[in-house]
Amino acid sequence: MSAAFVSVEDLSIAYGGFQAVDRVSFGIDAGEQVTLLGPSGCGKTTTLRAVAGLERPSAGRILIDGKPAFDGAHGLDTPPEKRNLSMVFQSYAIWPHMTVFENVAFPFRVRGRPSVETRAAVERALALVDLARFAERPATMLSGGQQQRVALARAVAFGTKLVLLDEPLSNLDAQLRLQMRDELADLRKRLGFTALYVTHDQEEAFSLSDHIVVMRGGRIEQAGRPQEIYRNPQSRFVAEFLGMRNIIPCELAGTGEGARLPDGTVLRGRDVAPGTAIEDAAIAFRPGDVRLDDKPGEGQGGSGVVARSLFVGDVQHVFLRSGPVELCAHVRPRPGLDEGRTLFWRVTPEDCLILRK
Amino acid sequence: MSAPPIRLAGGFIRGAGQERLLALVLAAIVGVMVLVPLAAVVLGAVGDEDGFSLMALADVLASGRVIGNTLLVGLGTTVLATGLGGVLAVILVRTDTPWRGGLEQLLLLPLYITPLLTAVAWSWLGSPRGGLLNLLAQSVLGPVGSIVNLHSAGGVITVAALAYAPLPFLLVAGALRAMDPSLEESARIHGASIGAAFRRVTLPLALPALLGSALLVFVQSLGLFSVPAVLGMPAGFYVAATEIYRLLNSYPPRVTQAAGWGLLLLVVTAVLVALQAAILRRRSFVTITGKAFRPRLVHVGGWRPVLLGVVLLYLLAAVVLPVATLCWAALVNFITVDPKLMSFDLRHFSYVLFTYPKTLLATRNSLVLGLLTATVICTLGLAMAWVIVRSRGAAARFLDQVGMMPLAIPPIVLALGLLWSYVGLTWLPLYGTIGILLLAYVTHYLPFGLRALSSAIRQLHPELEDAARVAGAGLFGTLRRIVLPLTRPTLVATWTLLFILSLQEISSSILLYTAPSTVLSVAVFDLWEAGNVNALAALSVMQLFATFAALLVVARLRQKAVAA
Ligand SMILES: Nc1ncnc2c1ncn2[C@@H]1O[C@H](COP(=O)(O)OP(=O)(O)OP(=O)(O)O)[C@@H](O)[C@H]1O
Ligand SMILES: [Mg+2]
Repeated sequence: MSAAFVSVEDLSIAYGGFQAVDRVSFGIDAGEQVTLLGPSGCGKTTTLRAVAGLERPSAGRILIDGKPAFDGAHGLDTPPEKRNLSMVFQSYAIWPHMTVFENVAFPFRVRGRPSVETRAAVERALALVDLARFAERPATMLSGGQQQRVALARAVAFGTKLVLLDEPLSNLDAQLRLQMRDELADLRKRLGFTALYVTHDQEEAFSLSDHIVVMRGGRIEQAGRPQEIYRNPQSRFVAEFLGMRNIIPCELAGTGEGARLPDGTVLRGRDVAPGTAIEDAAIAFRPGDVRLDDKPGEGQGGSGVVARSLFVGDVQHVFLRSGPVELCAHVRPRPGLDEGRTLFWRVTPEDCLILRK
Repeated sequence: MSAPPIRLAGGFIRGAGQERLLALVLAAIVGVMVLVPLAAVVLGAVGDEDGFSLMALADVLASGRVIGNTLLVGLGTTVLATGLGGVLAVILVRTDTPWRGGLEQLLLLPLYITPLLTAVAWSWLGSPRGGLLNLLAQSVLGPVGSIVNLHSAGGVITVAALAYAPLPFLLVAGALRAMDPSLEESARIHGASIGAAFRRVTLPLALPALLGSALLVFVQSLGLFSVPAVLGMPAGFYVAATEIYRLLNSYPPRVTQAAGWGLLLLVVTAVLVALQAAILRRRSFVTITGKAFRPRLVHVGGWRPVLLGVVLLYLLAAVVLPVATLCWAALVNFITVDPKLMSFDLRHFSYVLFTYPKTLLATRNSLVLGLLTATVICTLGLAMAWVIVRSRGAAARFLDQVGMMPLAIPPIVLALGLLWSYVGLTWLPLYGTIGILLLAYVTHYLPFGLRALSSAIRQLHPELEDAARVAGAGLFGTLRRIVLPLTRPTLVATWTLLFILSLQEISSSILLYTAPSTVLSVAVFDLWEAGNVNALAALSVMQLFATFAALLVVARLRQKAVAA
């Protein structure tokens, strides 16, 4: 962590009395991608903009490539143009009064680079995103996906070591988003830049990042490698955000001895933070990990009455109720999942997480 | 949060510091421009050579007749112009009256003809003795006395309303276009008739625009000089502005009384601005989103010719008759209705161009002032608008409030304040040059530029600028390479409008000019006072045609820009 390429230390940002970012710290190693993940309004964009120098923090420190870019204690605030980074904006921010070429050439021109060098680099960048044919087009005469690529080309053309990306794929339709996601991963592998990425889409975060920082209400809720976070969410918030729709309050019987649900069912699961204080115990599992049977059988679980059953295509969403306990299962559609039936649900201990907060 | 947020170590911070410096410099400029003359009027009104004295104010308050006249003209013009403008806007935006597009363009012409020329033309048409309409009536109907008398309170109000109606028209038409038609449609669905929907939904939603334009007209007409000078003074009908003019032109000039009048006008407008703010605060509307909708047209059927007639009648009174009268007076040998006595030639034009000594100087001064005013406001306004829209902080709020303040300062009061501030200032010899006129014009028209440019910048996505900063451009590089080109269409339009407006300014010029710094509008007024009506007509016709030509060129340019 100490040799990180970017390091953000105790960063706080306030708007008037409102604390948008509250003592956030993380680092990005050279050539890696860190993703800020979290629901809308949790402070991701604000953090990213502070790294860019577009937002003035109220306290903390930001180091980029070993050099301090912001230091609240010393009143240092390097302006964005001196931080030597580039950024892909959520709105793309393609300048409408310039051609595609001029957009991508902008970082060179404002820094007074020779035009030979500029032309070569811009053409290389446009070729990378497959837009070489469009160089002389006015930037406004492009589709959304093409504008996105121009923004990407502009961000990588100058070869800054750090690229910031603010939900770069969120304005694209689902199919294009998948395609651009792969291209983005490919581009970073080829060019090797360091990236700070913002999204609220967990799939995007998992597939692109080396590290993920989950944010909530301006603070870091959990940080770690994607697999680690996926397997071991530390809190209800993270578990829920990662799609663990079944989070059922429970009592913990004893160390590793299972959890008792309000309807009396006892489940065993993985304790994500053994030994820490219990604030608000719950057991969590994904709807896709639940099996439904007509008869009682092997494995742990209970029974419930189907309260609602929704056909959504590949899967059927089945909502069971058993006394005060409600849970949801995503299973292959088949006959016998009708509302009012009593079914038996099963979930393996490996798929169950015991959360302590 | 346990620890209080760490304050940034004081002192100068680079980057953000540049923006703060820009904001502070602008705030200082605007503060001096606007607040100094205001303070001067207040101080001037409550003191004379002997120190503090309320004599002048007492004098002013004792002249109940002039106060009454001023309020009468102010209120009358406001009601009439706002009503007229509002009705015209509804007709042209919301009904299927024919030729709407073309008529809408023509409706803006009175703004360019100016109240002064409209008043002069109508004075020839409607003075009690010698007015063309009266003479015409007598020659047709025999001795009937005078059928119209525009040298009266009613005349002043009518002509001022004709000249100012385009302002409320513009604002209300804009509000009607910005209104989501589904609001009215849902009122219809829920059982309201067309009339009821209009009354209960559309009208209340257009209220801010109506009130705003009413206030604008009121401030303009309260301090209006030209129309009462032309139509009121001959009949001994004085309002505050002409009274200020009279006091300053008497010997010795009675400056303290004049300042007293200025203060009174300021207080009245300030009260009204506060009142408007209070009314609008209680009803906050979020429907006006800045998005343009396609207004739903009401099919008026048999009323179409009637509504068309209303619009044409207005155009006849505000454009056709005044311009025709001016053209006729510029060409005819002298003013008469007897066709046998009339002959037409260009001698008045040649007099104005080659003999009248002020034409050349006044034209040059006016052109220089127009160029400078438009350029200075566009530069200052763009920078101010950027700070106001993009930065949070006290300086931005100050710029917004103080920058828009001149909207509530009658120009003649501004001129008074400038006189008090700069006459006799030996280390800054502004008075006696066009510098003081430039200061007055820039201050007076600043809100127009500011409003247009703020809305242009508000439409720019802020990330366009952020992207430039991140890509390596500094603050001023970003302003130059991104903000300037993207606001260019608005800048061009604003520049032209300001250029034309400052060519016509008279209310403050009349107090601030000196022989070497005379301007066109003052030259026209001089000819009026000297009774040289034909030369006046010739000079104004040339001015009008130059203005219209400029407008045409700009319209062409804009068409080309749109086509490209
Ligand atoms: N200029 C501002 N003034 C006041 N509050 C702001 C400002 N900008 C952001 N905020 C607040 O700061 C918080 C964090 O905003 P931010 O834009 O960082 O959220 P985000 O995580 O990027 O959300 P999203 O996913 O919706 O983009 C929000 O609650 C927002 O309302
Ligand atoms: Mg965001």
